[in-house]
Amino acid sequence: MDTLQRSLLPIWTFVRIDVKRLFRDKVAIFFVFFFPLVFLIIFGSIFNSSSDVSFRVSLINQSQSDFALDFEKKLRNNDVFNIDTEATTLNAAKQKMNRGQLDATIILPANFGQLGDQGYPTGQARILYDQSNESAGSSLAAVMESIFTGVNNELVPYQAPFKAVAESTATKGLTQFDYTFSGLLGFTLISLGIFGPTQVFPRLKQKGVLRRYRMTTLKVWQYFVANVASNAFIGLLAASIMFLTAVVLFDLNMRGNYLVLATVVVLGTIMLFGIGLAVGGWAKNENQAAPLAQLTALPMMFLSGVFFPTFLMPDLLQRITAFIPLTPVIEAVRLVVTENASLLDLGPQLGIIIGWTVVIYLLAFRLFRWE
Amino acid sequence: MTDVILRASKLKKLYGGKPVVDGVSFTVKKGEIFGILGPNGAGKTTTLEMLETMRPIDGGSAEIDGIDVAKNPQKIKALIGVQPQTPSFEEKTKLIELIDFFAAAYGEKVDAKAFLADVQLLEKANSYPEQLSGGQRQRFSIAAALVHGPKVFFLDEPTTGLDPQARRNLWDLIREVQSRGVSVIMTTHYMDEAELLCDRVAVMDKGKIIALDTPKNLIKHLLKKGFKKDQHVEQANLEDVFIDLTGKALRD
Repeated sequence: MDTLQRSLLPIWTFVRIDVKRLFRDKVAIFFVFFFPLVFLIIFGSIFNSSSDVSFRVSLINQSQSDFALDFEKKLRNNDVFNIDTEATTLNAAKQKMNRGQLDATIILPANFGQLGDQGYPTGQARILYDQSNESAGSSLAAVMESIFTGVNNELVPYQAPFKAVAESTATKGLTQFDYTFSGLLGFTLISLGIFGPTQVFPRLKQKGVLRRYRMTTLKVWQYFVANVASNAFIGLLAASIMFLTAVVLFDLNMRGNYLVLATVVVLGTIMLFGIGLAVGGWAKNENQAAPLAQLTALPMMFLSGVFFPTFLMPDLLQRITAFIPLTPVIEAVRLVVTENASLLDLGPQLGIIIGWTVVIYLLAFRLFRWE
Repeated sequence: MTDVILRASKLKKLYGGKPVVDGVSFTVKKGEIFGILGPNGAGKTTTLEMLETMRPIDGGSAEIDGIDVAKNPQKIKALIGVQPQTPSFEEKTKLIELIDFFAAAYGEKVDAKAFLADVQLLEKANSYPEQLSGGQRQRFSIAAALVHGPKVFFLDEPTTGLDPQARRNLWDLIREVQSRGVSVIMTTHYMDEAELLCDRVAVMDKGKIIALDTPKNLIKHLLKKGFKKDQHVEQANLEDVFIDLTGKALRD
């Protein structure tokens, strides 16, 4: 064997064994592959349901006119309205509104839909809402208004001189979930990269396993590369499982290229693992490693857009958080998934990631101790 | 005289200004089993660790097979095999995989099964180290330490905590390693072990070597000084009874 092969042999051997080892450890399997899915499913359910607006209303029709009956049917068939079947009297509806179980009550009065002087039906629907739920009440009024505009137009066709049309800027089909996904993926990568090694390395040190490795000709860089490679592989696997679940369960819209996404995931995993390696490689025991792991991981999670988007932050803070290691990873994933960004488009993000990777690994290399 | 494989001269190790190893000199010949005896805290393990490149040498020097230990730690590591006092390995890893990995750490590919067979662990090839008994673990650790064919083999108190059967088995194993031409350096605080196994022993106390010779010569020397044991010659001792009752076969 030549020198290069000999120095790569421990790396390849380690990766092969390390990946197998993970699959023998039920606890590790849970934390690496299933724990993130729990988050994904929780967040997915929340954001998926909130994307289609609907009002919980009670409908009280006091009119017997044909028009009123027809109109009632229309409302019941409209997805925007989620019509309560129990509250059929005004009193019952008021009680439910008071408790916040209903957004509003729509009343079609007795004279609703009676033929007027001009020969077509007229009327006025009343919308009652609780004081505490004013926004729902006013949006509902607007919705009803637009429905009536349509009805009016059918009865008395005319061309309005001015109109306002509202359109969402997001390209068709993107849901809130599509934006949330990148944060959740960031969460997975950070737990894998930081919480994994900060637990494993101190334990191996305390048991003397790393000391035993030090007795061999194995070099620190070989041990590093081996760990990084196996972790990148596992990270890619975890991300794939998350991705698949997101696509199957929550209709994630993947607009970008899968190879670009894989590149971002691998680079992000390598960088974040470096943080874990620096902390876990430095710490003598778990007591030193655990708080330091929390101290690095938690602020990153909060400031980099795992739990809420960074654009909700003040401008100054946003400018700072853009340089936190996790932010460009989440950004890049989001840009690939929602905007089909190419590697070239991701230049700024990948630049920050690579920059951090160099700094983090230099530090990890200096701080590493075998025992 | 046979060739010298290891030479230590005036080795010194200080902890907080205090000498733990205080000018230790000795040589080990090719193919012999060399014992370092002494009570706890005598500096046996520290001496070993300096020779194994695991601790910096604070004074004096050492060479193995003509190579300076302090100057060429990487070369030395390739020359030696080490059995630590409490061997431990990564969990959930098959023995056969661990042998593969240790060989790979030296850049070598080996027949892992043959190494396991050498220490009677072939049937445990797919077990994890945490599933082994104390004796099995020591045997496995020896196999793992020899994967790269070292010239010198260091063992630190290899039989501490083992039952009589496992101890005897380990002695046989160490003799077998010696018979392949590997020089063995071991520490122990069991005198019977040293007497039976070692070609020469160094007795250490308080960081210094206070005697160095073959076990026979050391005993002769003591007798010459007029030492007399309260003598009543027993034909057997309790350990003989134990072995007679429970057999020599390995129990793990």
